[in-house]
Amino acid sequence: MLGDAEAVAAGIRPGQKLATALGLLPGLSVFERAAARERQTLENLACWAGRFTPTVSLAQPNELLLEIGACIRLFGGIEPIVDAVTSGCAEQGHTPGWAVAPTPLGARWLARSGSGTIHREAASLHAALAELPCHIADWPADAVARLESFGLRRLGALRATPGSGLRRRIGNRPLDDMARAWGDVPDPQTAFAFPESFAIDIELPSRVEHAEALVFSGQRLFSALAGWLSARQLLLRRCTLRFRHDDAEPSDLALRFAEPAADEARFVRLLREHLGRWQLPAPVEAVRLQADELAERSGESVPLFAEAAHGEGHLACLERLRARLGERAVQALDAVFDYRPECASRERDATVASRSPAGQATQRQARLPASARPLWLLPTPCALPERAGSPDWHGPLKLLSSPERLESGWWDSGEQGAAGDVRRDYFVARNPQGQWAWVFRNAEGWFLHGLFA
Amino acid sequence: MNALPLPVALADVLARGDVWRGDTLASLAEAAIPSGHPELDAELPGGGWPRGVLTELLVDCNGVGEMSLLLPALSRLSQAGGWLALVAPPWLPHAPAWAAAGIALERLVIVRAGKDTAWSIEQLLACDGFAGVLAWPGEGIDAKALRRLQVAAEGRSVLACLWRSTAAAGTPSPAPLRVALASGSDALTVRILKRRGRPASRPLDLPYSSSIPRPGRRSRAVAGPVLSLVADRGLAAAPAA
Repeated sequence: MLGDAEAVAAGIRPGQKLATALGLLPGLSVFERAAARERQTLENLACWAGRFTPTVSLAQPNELLLEIGACIRLFGGIEPIVDAVTSGCAEQGHTPGWAVAPTPLGARWLARSGSGTIHREAASLHAALAELPCHIADWPADAVARLESFGLRRLGALRATPGSGLRRRIGNRPLDDMARAWGDVPDPQTAFAFPESFAIDIELPSRVEHAEALVFSGQRLFSALAGWLSARQLLLRRCTLRFRHDDAEPSDLALRFAEPAADEARFVRLLREHLGRWQLPAPVEAVRLQADELAERSGESVPLFAEAAHGEGHLACLERLRARLGERAVQALDAVFDYRPECASRERDATVASRSPAGQATQRQARLPASARPLWLLPTPCALPERAGSPDWHGPLKLLSSPERLESGWWDSGEQGAAGDVRRDYFVARNPQGQWAWVFRNAEGWFLHGLFA
Repeated sequence: MNALPLPVALADVLARGDVWRGDTLASLAEAAIPSGHPELDAELPGGGWPRGVLTELLVDCNGVGEMSLLLPALSRLSQAGGWLALVAPPWLPHAPAWAAAGIALERLVIVRAGKDTAWSIEQLLACDGFAGVLAWPGEGIDAKALRRLQVAAEGRSVLACLWRSTAAAGTPSPAPLRVALASGSDALTVRILKRRGRPASRPLDLPYSSSIPRPGRRSRAVAGPVLSLVADRGLAAAPAA
């Protein structure tokens, strides 16, 4: 039994019976310990820690070892790593005890005691270890009791006692552990195997009814995902967030990235845009994040000199615009070989096109009509009145070119939404205001179709 | 007593890109893009369309060559591999014409932003991935939004152009360069309302056809008879015997 500060103040101690505890503090909320969820949390945390070092080890039930010896230079010292780890844990709602030491077991013992110190040298580690009480290492209770009866309360005293006699009395394990912690014998660790595919769940502490409130949980999921991506040297192209509801089918929110990315901040920005428009069918009780499509990461260089901060780049920006404005609002243009002006441009996905092979553009350019085309087209041709034999648009239009006959499109005439069979004579014209217009005349009369801007 | 270093320091200060004297045109920190019109370049601070600041182009009548004025600079940016964005354009861009003007269509993005126009422009300016952003913010944009856009563009190497109506000329704007465009009989009249430097004395005329390419023949109107050819559809469709 473990109580929070209020419970401890009421006299609740580990080892008490539940009935005693309830007697001391009626109205006590009791939660059962869920080992599976603890393990899951530890693994999520290990994934997240992949951003610092690829060598992470789980020490069950509640300890995580990060081997940072090789990464110190990358992060610019031990302190920046420690700061990033502790603040990252705090963001995820954990308050870790931590220590940095040259041996894994030494670091674990110091972290257990909540030392929060950095030991670069073996000597300072030894001094710190010597002060620790013997029960810090989870040796069998009878061995600890026997040590106590010898008067050996601190590890330092135990260390100073001749080994062979002790081995006979309390078994080998304490002395072997001591040798590992002091660094006398090597202590290899089993590295945490980052899972092949990424899918983690978190239960929300309370039911969430507003989509915006999910950003916080999303942030935790994405920070684990970013660590996993970094450890496996992968980039994310598509992922799915599945929201589990109390009394409705789970709903999915797919996030697609314009280019493969591994940046946590970018994930969260995109999530924010999507959640801003997302309607929740029912309150959410749990969220699952699954990485669907991944890409290999290629190496990248870090600039030697500090450079001016750059923005996020066009693809990240387009994907955010698309998240807020809708898929159809951000488009690129394609020129299509069709004589009918309204069919000569086609819109397509701006971000997909960026990956299309180059070289089509030059082909297209060769097929463009030779005569003048306006930069702007009206969405639908606008009928113009005819006055004194000439079309009128803010005054009489003066025709400046000989007609260009466009007669095409018999194949889709009568089809829904198609331009159909057209037969038009196009003119360049200018009105008294000095505006250049592209007008045509067909059997129905004069129409304004474009502007030479 | 030591020699005073002041005059040297003053000269140094004046040589900085972001300091300009009232009687000369400012030079810019970011290299400007030549507009393709030498007489206009001479009047623009930095010798071209400025990058990293907001430029307002005020025009009432469209179709007077206002886009053709920008096209040389845009095609230069596009050919150099830059991305261009059109935010909330009032009409549909006609792809063959843009391609013919030298714009790489695969790097031209059209954003239909609806009521989020100002937000979209800000995102596009701040992301640093675009070489040119042309936006039609409409009447609704206020000084606060313009200030945000100017801050977003600051220090980026983006050509940021806002198209507004000349009705906005009277209201103050944070854009360091404001240009009003109007159509003359045979020239596009460019009036620089505001720039970094002394005020422009008189409007600049960029002659049509030589400076601003225009379609069609110059002066003579096409006479009527050709129209009758179109009018009778049945005749035109008849096979030649």
